[in-house]
Amino acid sequence: MTMTAAASLATTADPDAETSARATPKISIRNLYKIFGETPVEALGHVRQGVGKVELLERFNHVLGLSDINVDIARGQITVIMGLSGSGKSTLIRHLNRLIDPTAGEVRVDDEDILTYGEQALRRLRQKQMSMVFQKFALLPHRTVMQNAGLSLHVGGEGQDVMEKEARRWLDRVGLKGYEQHYPHQLSGGMQQRVGIARALTSNSEIMLMDEAFSALDPLIRTDMQDLLLELQQELHKTIVFITHDLDEALKLADHLVILKDGYVVQQGEPQGILLNPADPYIEDFVSDINRARVLRVRSVMAPGDITRADLAGEIDHNATLEDVIAASGGETTHSYRVMKEGRPVGVLRMADLVKALVPRAASGQGPRTGAG
Amino acid sequence: MAFYTGLFDALGLRGWCDADAQDGPMTMAQLLARSQGGGEVTVPWWNPPFPSLDALHEACNAIPRTRDLTSGLEQLFLDVRDGLRVVLDPLTQPLSWLLDGALWLFVSSPWWILIPLIMALCYVVSRSVSLILAVAASILLLAFIDHYDYAIQTLSIIFVCTALCVVFGIPIGIAMSKSNRFQRGMLPVLDMLQTLPSFVYLIPLIFLFSVTESKLYGIAIILYAIVPVIRLTDLGIRLVDKDVIEAANAFGMSGRQKLFQVEIPLALPNIMAGVNQTIMMALAMVVIASLVSAPGLGVLVLRGIRNLELGVGLVAGLGIVILAVILDRVSKAALARINTSHSTG
Repeated sequence: MTMTAAASLATTADPDAETSARATPKISIRNLYKIFGETPVEALGHVRQGVGKVELLERFNHVLGLSDINVDIARGQITVIMGLSGSGKSTLIRHLNRLIDPTAGEVRVDDEDILTYGEQALRRLRQKQMSMVFQKFALLPHRTVMQNAGLSLHVGGEGQDVMEKEARRWLDRVGLKGYEQHYPHQLSGGMQQRVGIARALTSNSEIMLMDEAFSALDPLIRTDMQDLLLELQQELHKTIVFITHDLDEALKLADHLVILKDGYVVQQGEPQGILLNPADPYIEDFVSDINRARVLRVRSVMAPGDITRADLAGEIDHNATLEDVIAASGGETTHSYRVMKEGRPVGVLRMADLVKALVPRAASGQGPRTGAG
Repeated sequence: MAFYTGLFDALGLRGWCDADAQDGPMTMAQLLARSQGGGEVTVPWWNPPFPSLDALHEACNAIPRTRDLTSGLEQLFLDVRDGLRVVLDPLTQPLSWLLDGALWLFVSSPWWILIPLIMALCYVVSRSVSLILAVAASILLLAFIDHYDYAIQTLSIIFVCTALCVVFGIPIGIAMSKSNRFQRGMLPVLDMLQTLPSFVYLIPLIFLFSVTESKLYGIAIILYAIVPVIRLTDLGIRLVDKDVIEAANAFGMSGRQKLFQVEIPLALPNIMAGVNQTIMMALAMVVIASLVSAPGLGVLVLRGIRNLELGVGLVAGLGIVILAVILDRVSKAALARINTSHSTG
């Protein structure tokens, strides 16, 4: 009951929240560089003069980890940072809580530059404001599930009873009731990661950093965990930074998608937009294997306005996936539908547009050539 | 006429050689040669003596003999000894008190209290009934053949020395794991301590301290036995899962919290393996230390060797084996218990 109320509240407040979130990001990363090697500052000079990653490694023996990263992470949304291994995504997320310090640049949280923080302030930031979920779970093997879940409170010096109450609450929430006194090695991988999520939630921090949190799990459990995360997010509105190498996962979770390659941002924006308008061949390649019907939504394909036409076959929600529409149309490609948003018509979807949208841009470019040949 | 005389003449060093010609005491070889009445021995050209210090000395008096080197070393040691003693004596005095106190406590406690106490201690660390029964049987066997007092003396020395090895060794190991530079400095020292023959420890210690003081053998045992616990503490902490350390950092743990709540607990299996090794090495050294008045079963072994009392030596040796087996089993059982509660999934 309360949950549905919160959810509907969230959807009604959505447009305003979105604009205000854009206005003051929770975290903003400005001109961030990270270079690994003996004399990174010197190497930074070369990079600023236009030396590329390969040349930097060959001539100066330094590794360019991150190059001029500018990302705003919106309050209360899921920002997914995606890239293949070696693209620097794990390095980037570790800059947000300064497990790694940058060579140059700024990381601002609530408009405070955390790079100026001393040891005390940094520890407080990690205890109270940011929590992290790890790919390999990284639970303490000698502590019980309950003690692991309550780690941040224990570290922050909270009493045993507060710690147990909070830990128990969040363990229940992630579906681990009754396992409080078990040790991590007695649980399966999926359950261990639930403990990892409970540990992050117990800290009651606004920001959750998730470093390939579901990559080590098998596909079915991974889907379960994604659903769990989305469900929790409906309720909690945390600022989540999620790292993944899996585009399906990224598209499922992301409000804002950042694609990294070789340490720089190739493209960022709303995932539907990236899918429909890939900025370069690398991303075209990336998105070409996706089941577009399941990912693309009506609102991204529809034509706005023009709602008075009489020949409409029916009404569909703006958030429905194209797959839903195809199922509803029974395969008929000549129909058009009225698109509804919160009970009001906002546009028209022609099935012909839908079918065109299903073909990746690079491939559709090849279309006429095949026809001519 | 020595073989190398011509060489020094040819180099024009004759004057320097004879400048302060002082004939030190003769070597045994010279004495023998003189008593046999043999004059100069002619050396064939194809078999020259190796140009060692002694051979060169024969040709040139200014070059010192090897025995001057060893006696010089001895003199140096004697010269610094008093200074060292002023510093080391008060520092190491508590060790004597500990060893003597423990010996007195162990020996003067009645056997019917001490044996159950030992069994209780074994149970606490190992939680294995069959093991404490074996321990009891072994001690009763030793008592039955009148080796109880000796065995208890040996045990008390091992107890004190192992405890001190742990107290000093674990912090040193932790410091090594935290600082690569300190580790680089310590490794050669540890290598040396481990490779020096155990008798060699005793030589400088005999000079430094009086043989009647128990700290003499205490230091020898500790130096010999402390190495494994240092090494394995260092290794254990370095082997702690990097992901777990990162998680500890990410949740804002301080260095101290990390050390006591994560690193030491996770390194404990390795540390305990080090303690097990330390106990076994302390037992090995306590036998040799009987040469410098350490009491216990070693004294009987020594008597067996010195007086050719075969039976005494063999029975005492058997006693040592029994002690070794007990100590090994109990510490391994403790290690196994830690391992099962730590097993990582």
